Amino acid sequence: MTAPAPAPVASRRPRSRFLAILLYTLQSCVPPKRWFAVLLPCAGAVFFGLLAHAVHGTHGHAFANVAAEGIFGLMLPIAVLIIGDAVLGAEVRAGTFHFTWLSPAPTWQIVLGRWLGGSLIALVTIVPATALAAVVASDPADADAALVAAAVAAVAYVAIFIAIGCITRRTAVWSLAFVFLVERLLGAALTGIAQISPTWESRAIFISYIDNPPARLIRAGIPHGAGAVVRLLVVTVVALVIANWRMRHMRLSGASD
Amino acid sequence: MPDPAFAEEATVEVTDVSVWFGAKVALSELSCSFGPGVTGLLGPNGAGKTTLMRAITGLLGVNQGSVRIEGRDPRRDRGVHSRMSLVPEDEAVSAALTARQFVRYIADLRRITDRNAPDDALRTVGMLDAADRRVDTFSKGMRQRTKVAAALVTNPQVMVLDEPLNGADPLQRLRLIELFKQLGAQGRTVIVSSHILNEVERLAERVIVLVHGRLAAAGGHHAIRDAMNDRPRHVLIRSDDARRLAGALITLESVAGVTFDTARDGLVIQTVQARELATALPRLARDTSSRLIEVRALDDSLESLFRELVR
Repeated sequence: MTAPAPAPVASRRPRSRFLAILLYTLQSCVPPKRWFAVLLPCAGAVFFGLLAHAVHGTHGHAFANVAAEGIFGLMLPIAVLIIGDAVLGAEVRAGTFHFTWLSPAPTWQIVLGRWLGGSLIALVTIVPATALAAVVASDPADADAALVAAAVAAVAYVAIFIAIGCITRRTAVWSLAFVFLVERLLGAALTGIAQISPTWESRAIFISYIDNPPARLIRAGIPHGAGAVVRLLVVTVVALVIANWRMRHMRLSGASD
Repeated sequence: MPDPAFAEEATVEVTDVSVWFGAKVALSELSCSFGPGVTGLLGPNGAGKTTLMRAITGLLGVNQGSVRIEGRDPRRDRGVHSRMSLVPEDEAVSAALTARQFVRYIADLRRITDRNAPDDALRTVGMLDAADRRVDTFSKGMRQRTKVAAALVTNPQVMVLDEPLNGADPLQRLRLIELFKQLGAQGRTVIVSSHILNEVERLAERVIVLVHGRLAAAGGHHAIRDAMNDRPRHVLIRSDDARRLAGALITLESVAGVTFDTARDGLVIQTVQARELATALPRLARDTSSRLIEVRALDDSLESLFRELVR
């Protein structure tokens, strides 16, 4: 072995760091086992579409009830949690994130690249699965609303789970705690929590864009429609800002620690 | 005389650094520096070697003190990462990528413009033939070499290598040792930790020994031995009349004990003043009409130095 002499030969225009991080996220962060884990809740979402046939009422009402509880309240957060953990938390735990962190790339590029990569994966898995569930539930007219609500919630969730990954090594545990303790428990009781909760706001978006929604699903005190979309986009930005700030101060230990 | 813990032209400066994890102190008020050439970092498990390497690269923030790479703080100034690279101890390499994709990713992060740089780096560590294989099909040694290639592709001035020889076969170890020596000879700062002490002996011009998160010794391994002259050393002496020679040796003040070692067929002398013993021994042999067959220090390897420091 001979140490390389520092003499560039054939030069090329290097990929931008952001593009390199994005491509790496898409290529490397979701290995086959994790793809399988992501596809399970996607199948679950479609299964909830089937379950809508067992619910009394019109197809629209039946799917709205099933989607609000089963898809936006359970399958969507679980699927995105698996993706969100994969694009940062799992890498930090495995020790492979060192290679990205120990580069001159600004942390905001790392955070944005990971977030965009995770969001793209969510947009081709759980988001179409949510729309497919509407079709399976014989309510194709509401597929658009389901698609928009799931897409906005997914990008917000990915940002939140990345921020959690920057704060703690136990990303999956704390992300589950966020979904089930903060959103489901506290969010059900406190409107202030529901206003920044992707679960509640995605339900509100979905309900706003379907015809004749069930009255019991309309929650007072939180934004609906475009307001809810804007609210979730604000949540996304805030989560990304927190992630960027925390990433600069991360203490990265190895896989064995 | 300059402090051997500090390099003359320091590129990496560690000043009063303490790092703790909860109640566990990993590094305690450690000060040392590293300059061009290869420096070996030695210590038992838990001595703080990996923590020091992570602190140097900025992966870990220090609780107290400061780390500077070419005068810059690796935690605050991300630009400094274009000047250095780390080969971590963990096997962790992104498993879903091929070796070429992985090295190219590292090159892209540094915006390396040389199109051939990833292949050159892989060729340097003997991994070009396996460049299109996924990393999860590699042996441990191949993963190590892939990480070394990823470090080389950035053409760093400071290389931090945590147990880089782990898992490599003997031939690859020799080649990697030669490579690291060349990198050091090119004026790069190469910091290598290893448990394979005889290899560090061959590899590093300078050694820093950590024990319990503190600096235990620094310098060349002979210099470390000199610094430990007040500690007992063991010397094997074989002669044609061991009993008569033993009787004479025990009268010397420099000799703390004499043992007959039947396995080695000689005397094992415990001394705290090796130089005085070395001066007196030929005279004693002449006076007792003994012929010296072999005189050999038993604990002059780095491994034995290390055991004494840890004791």
